[in-house]
Amino acid sequence: MLEKIQNVLRTHLDNETLEITAATTFEELDLDSLDLVELVMSLEDEFGIGIEVEETLVTVGDLVRLIEGLL
Amino acid sequence: MTSPICDLLGISVPVLQGGMAWISDWSLASAVSNAGGLGTVAAGNAPADYVRDQIQKTREHTNKPFAVNVMLMSPFAEEIAELLIAERVPVVVTGAGNPERFMRRWLDAGIKVVPVVPSTGVARRVEKLGATAVIAEGGESGGHIGELTTMALVPQVCDAVSIPVIAAGGIADGRGFAAALMLGAVGVQVGTRFLVANECTVHPNYKQRILAAKDIDTVSTGRRLGHPVRSLKNAFSRGFAALEYEPNTTLEQLEEYGVGALRLAAVEGDRERGCFMSGQVAGLVKREQSAAEIIADLISGAEAALKGASSWVK
Repeated sequence: MLEKIQNVLRTHLDNETLEITAATTFEELDLDSLDLVELVMSLEDEFGIGIEVEETLVTVGDLVRLIEGLL
Repeated sequence: MTSPICDLLGISVPVLQGGMAWISDWSLASAVSNAGGLGTVAAGNAPADYVRDQIQKTREHTNKPFAVNVMLMSPFAEEIAELLIAERVPVVVTGAGNPERFMRRWLDAGIKVVPVVPSTGVARRVEKLGATAVIAEGGESGGHIGELTTMALVPQVCDAVSIPVIAAGGIADGRGFAAALMLGAVGVQVGTRFLVANECTVHPNYKQRILAAKDIDTVSTGRRLGHPVRSLKNAFSRGFAALEYEPNTTLEQLEEYGVGALRLAAVEGDRERGCFMSGQVAGLVKREQSAAEIIADLISGAEAALKGASSWVK
C-alpha cells in the first residue's frame, strides 16, 4: 500500500526519485489541504473506494492506514 | 434577469449576499431575501444559541428563502450543523474548509448545500458528494481568501463541474456581475457592497471606512498561518504584517494577535485595533443604500453591460 501511495505522490509531485516514508508529513512534501483533496480523489479512482477527507491526516502513514481500513 | 440558480434556490434574482461574520445578521439577510436575492446569516465563530436566534429572527422578517453561512473552522461547527437540520434552513453555504463531514446529513435533510470553493479539485469533490451548486470565490474578496483570482478561478471551475457556479470576489456593480456571467457563472455573491446597506447593523465606523476606501486600501495578512485574510489597512493590519514577517514569531503568537479583532471592528468600531475585513472592491462602494436599491442597481447595471457587449462583435 505504501508503495502504491508513494507512486501516486511521486507522479503528483512530478518527482520520480522523491524520498517518501510512512513518517513523511504532507507539509514536508509541500502539500496543503487543497493538494490533499486532489490526491485523495486520484486514490479513490485508483482503488475504487470512497475516502472521507479527514483533517487529521498529517503523515503519509496516516493515509496508508486510512485506506487499508477501507479495503 | 433570471438564471438557473433562481429556480434552484427559489430566489427571483441571481444575487447572493455573502456571509460576513459579526456583520451579516438577520437584519441584512432578511432585507436581501425580501428584495429577491438570497440573504445570508453568518454563523462565524458564534455558538449555536446565537445562530438559532438569528434564524428565528430572519424568519420573522421574511418568508423567502435564506442561507446560513457555516465557517467550518468554528469550534461550534458540529452543533451548528445539527441546528441547521433541526431548523430546516433552506440553504447552507460553507466556507473556510472542507464540508464533507456534514454534506450527507444536510442533503438527506433536504437542505441545499452550496460550498464556497477555492480550487477545481474542491469543486469536483463537493459535486461528487452532492452539492447543489458551488461558489467560486477569488482572492479579491474580503475575509478568508484563496490564492486564485476570480478571473482565473471561475472559468476553470465552470469547466470542472456540471453543477451551477456562482462567482464571488471582486464583484460590486453591474460590470463585475456581467463579467462573471461571461466567465460562465450563473449568479454572483456580493459581500462588501452589502456591508454598507442601510439594513446592515455593523458599526457606523466600519461602513465609513469602506465608503472612504480606495483601490489600494486592502491588504492580505496571515499567509503564514495557512488561512490568509483580506482587510483594510490600519494599525491592526500593519501590526499583524510586522509580526508575521518577524522570524521569531510563533504561529501561536500570530493567531493570538488576531483573536477578537473582527469583533472589535464590527461591533466596537475600533479603528486602530479592529480588523476591517473588506474586498478589493471597497473603492467602488460609494454610498449607503437599501438592500433592494443595491440589488436593483446590480441588475440594471449588469443588463446594460450585457446588452452593450454585442457592440464588440462585428
